[in-house]
Amino acid sequence: MHWTHLLLELILMPLMAFFIGMGMVLTLRKIGAKLQRRIGPPFFQPLYDILKLHAKETQSSHGLIHEIGIVMAIGGYVAAETLLPVPGMNGIAQQGGLITLAYMTMIPSLGLALGVGQCANPNGSIGISRALTAMLAYDVPFILVVFGTAYAAQSTNLVEIIAAQQSDGIASWGLVQNPLLALAGLLALQGMLGKQPFEIYVAPAEIATGPMVEMGGKFLGGLFIMQCFQLYTAGVLYTSLFLGGGENWLTFLVKIFAVVSIPMAIAYLFPRFRTEDLVRFFWKWPTFLALLGLAFVLH
Amino acid sequence: MNALDLLFLLSGATLLCALLFGRTRWAAPLLLLGYAAQFVALLQTNALFGEPISLSWSLVVLDQPMHWRYDALSWFFALITLGAGFLSTGYGSGVWMRDYERAGHSAGVLHTALAANVFSMVLLVGAEDFLSLFLGWELLNWATFFLMALRGGIAARAALRYLGYAFTGGMAILGAMALLYAQAGSLEFQPIRESLPQMSDGQLWVLLALLGSGFGIKMGLLPFHLWQAPAYAETPGPGSAFFSAVSARMGLYAMLVFFVGMVGLARLVQMEIPYTFLNGRDLLAWIAVFTIIFPTYTALQQQDARYLLAWHGIGQGGYMVLGVLVGTAEGSAGGLLHIFNHAITQVALLMAVFAVLYRTGTTDLNRLGGLVARMPLTFLTLLFGIISLAGLPPMAGFVSKLLVYRALLFEGMPLLFVGAIIGTLGTILSVYKLIHNIFLGQLRLEHESVQEAPLSMLIPMLSLSLLIFLAGYFPGPTLSWVAAVQAQLGLPVVNYHLGGVYDAHGGFNMIWIVSVLLAGFGIGALVFFGLGGPSKRVHQLDNYAGGHFLYAENRYQYSDHFYAGLMHLIGPWYRGSFQWLERALGSIVDFLAHFTNGFYGIAQPLLWSLAAVLGIAVWVF
Repeated sequence: MHWTHLLLELILMPLMAFFIGMGMVLTLRKIGAKLQRRIGPPFFQPLYDILKLHAKETQSSHGLIHEIGIVMAIGGYVAAETLLPVPGMNGIAQQGGLITLAYMTMIPSLGLALGVGQCANPNGSIGISRALTAMLAYDVPFILVVFGTAYAAQSTNLVEIIAAQQSDGIASWGLVQNPLLALAGLLALQGMLGKQPFEIYVAPAEIATGPMVEMGGKFLGGLFIMQCFQLYTAGVLYTSLFLGGGENWLTFLVKIFAVVSIPMAIAYLFPRFRTEDLVRFFWKWPTFLALLGLAFVLH
Repeated sequence: MNALDLLFLLSGATLLCALLFGRTRWAAPLLLLGYAAQFVALLQTNALFGEPISLSWSLVVLDQPMHWRYDALSWFFALITLGAGFLSTGYGSGVWMRDYERAGHSAGVLHTALAANVFSMVLLVGAEDFLSLFLGWELLNWATFFLMALRGGIAARAALRYLGYAFTGGMAILGAMALLYAQAGSLEFQPIRESLPQMSDGQLWVLLALLGSGFGIKMGLLPFHLWQAPAYAETPGPGSAFFSAVSARMGLYAMLVFFVGMVGLARLVQMEIPYTFLNGRDLLAWIAVFTIIFPTYTALQQQDARYLLAWHGIGQGGYMVLGVLVGTAEGSAGGLLHIFNHAITQVALLMAVFAVLYRTGTTDLNRLGGLVARMPLTFLTLLFGIISLAGLPPMAGFVSKLLVYRALLFEGMPLLFVGAIIGTLGTILSVYKLIHNIFLGQLRLEHESVQEAPLSMLIPMLSLSLLIFLAGYFPGPTLSWVAAVQAQLGLPVVNYHLGGVYDAHGGFNMIWIVSVLLAGFGIGALVFFGLGGPSKRVHQLDNYAGGHFLYAENRYQYSDHFYAGLMHLIGPWYRGSFQWLERALGSIVDFLAHFTNGFYGIAQPLLWSLAAVLGIAVWVF
């Protein structure tokens, strides 16, 4: 591949991820509004929010690490997007692979945790301790899912994993081949996105939104950008592992929007789990499903 | 005189210098020169990429020749030993040592103990027969005890506990040597290597148990891990950093020599455990995984930064053993690479923590906080270190762990894989608590005037931080060392390049990954600093929670019981089973000792009479 072509991909992939991610934020807010019988925000609201927050006059910083934390949160996802293949663009997916991608997505979490830590607000730190505990919980089934899909494809290269699923239509999709892993992955996705019943770490009425408690202005704006990337990454990753990736942009967009809509659509059905219940849940049912799915893959 | 002769000579001379001039003010430069000279001599041996080199002279003890020879494996471990010795001495050479002496301790004793450790290790990793290995092993045990016990009090108690373990391990190795001698008629490695294929599985299981426990004690493998964390944590700063880098790895070195280099992983796989699905390799792999998990989650519970890191040091050893046992090119490369990557990581982390101790007088995680504003470079070192320890990109620890994960994945070992990942996740939680409770959150009143660590401590810390980053960005050079070691041990050799590995399952290239990550940070910075208006720094007390403002005299304390939710769930799982096991084994040994005493009292009355007469004579005269 010519270097200019690659450079173009490396610029376009995070840029498109951001805009698509904003579309996902809008979709989720619309779904939430519909379920609560509200109209919901206008089309450009996610963009307005980000611009408004960045344009605020008062930007309170608790120190350099508070600021660098937000930079890491955005930067980590910008880099992660180049490891996620999309129709017509592979970026550097072949230089990293699935495990690298999984670990790359932890960089923004680390950045956020560092930034929140410097704010010296107990609600923020409690929120981070809960969020990290949640990560420990949902990553166990998630890692089993990653293992199963990579083992089934005998590759950690996402380009190859997608190509294998596109070889024989829907029948070769991960969802059809390994439905138990797909189900476990969906449950892990609910935790990853912090949707009910797994949103104890934000718990607005208890710890005043937890990690976001000291975030205002461009700090919160940075987290809004991070959320766009987070939704996009989760949707594309699940699509790449179980829904055959994107044959073209139309099917790709339909799939990734459908994937991220599921957690939101079912979120309001649940109350909130306490941290220990959340851990107990993820280490029980999704892990059991993933292990069962894995047993089918290995034999 | 060849290069290996020179290395041994220089190592002995450095020890002598420490002994004679350790208390003088030019001891540190002299010793640094000594370690640097040893390093140059090591390079001159060319044992890594060239032919192995033997010592020009040998000894004969009880008709058994004692040889020393350096090959790629010896070179690799000696490099880490000398590097750790050099950096630890440099770290402790300036104001730290003056402070240490002011507290009533002797610089000369510390220098001598450190140099004795380095000398023992240089000797040990060159052993070409079991007699030389045992000599190096016992020398190292005593040198280790010497360095551990320096501070007295808790440190001395921890050192004595270590000594108990070390004696037990030494006896186990001696027992294995007797068995090997009976079978091979020699204690030299080559005849033993030739005789091993003729040994039955039963004999090999006995050897596995004896040598596995002997070497495993030094390594801190489960269930022989309890001694390590307190002993390493209570050792004075430079010694603690040195121990954490390489001391426990001597156990791994010996395991590699015997189990991989002599017995071979293929034979371990053939040694099936009756009525189970396990074989010798699986058993060791599961021990490695439990060594990852249990100490890591014990680390998570620690309230002292030194203990937290020391417990992680035990856990990280599990990744090394696990990687090597997978046996594939990538797996063993990951395991071996992790020895180096973890060494530079752990030394940097402990140096940062001891710098905090030097400035604040405590490493209690509940009595620190907010120090990033006062010690930003120490924070940077700790940050680089924790990212590497947790195995996240872009630092060195990520590369070695990634190789291990990939190997487990492609070898179809899902449960071991999940075990390794659970260890990593626990490490992430634990190291965040470490950095949060020391450097983030509120700065305490008593630390308002704390200053950055002194330059003599910062130089090694920042050098290591750079090394951690570079070893993650360009893993090619370190992988080339590892490839040479793999070839030496008869393992499949990893197909590496400057940025990572080539592999049929999809390789990876850290140069791309890290470059893109750095570019991502650049974009993040552009968005954050470019789009938004200028930010205004607010005071840490310009804050609220629970509807209350903060006052200087009335601050929050929220670092204690940091993972409350998780501990509600897993707290009851900590039943102190290993302490119970240790006490039970201690009681059994105690009982056997009494029994043997009684037996000798009956069977050898003359011996006791002689002892009594001697005792009376000593008392009278």
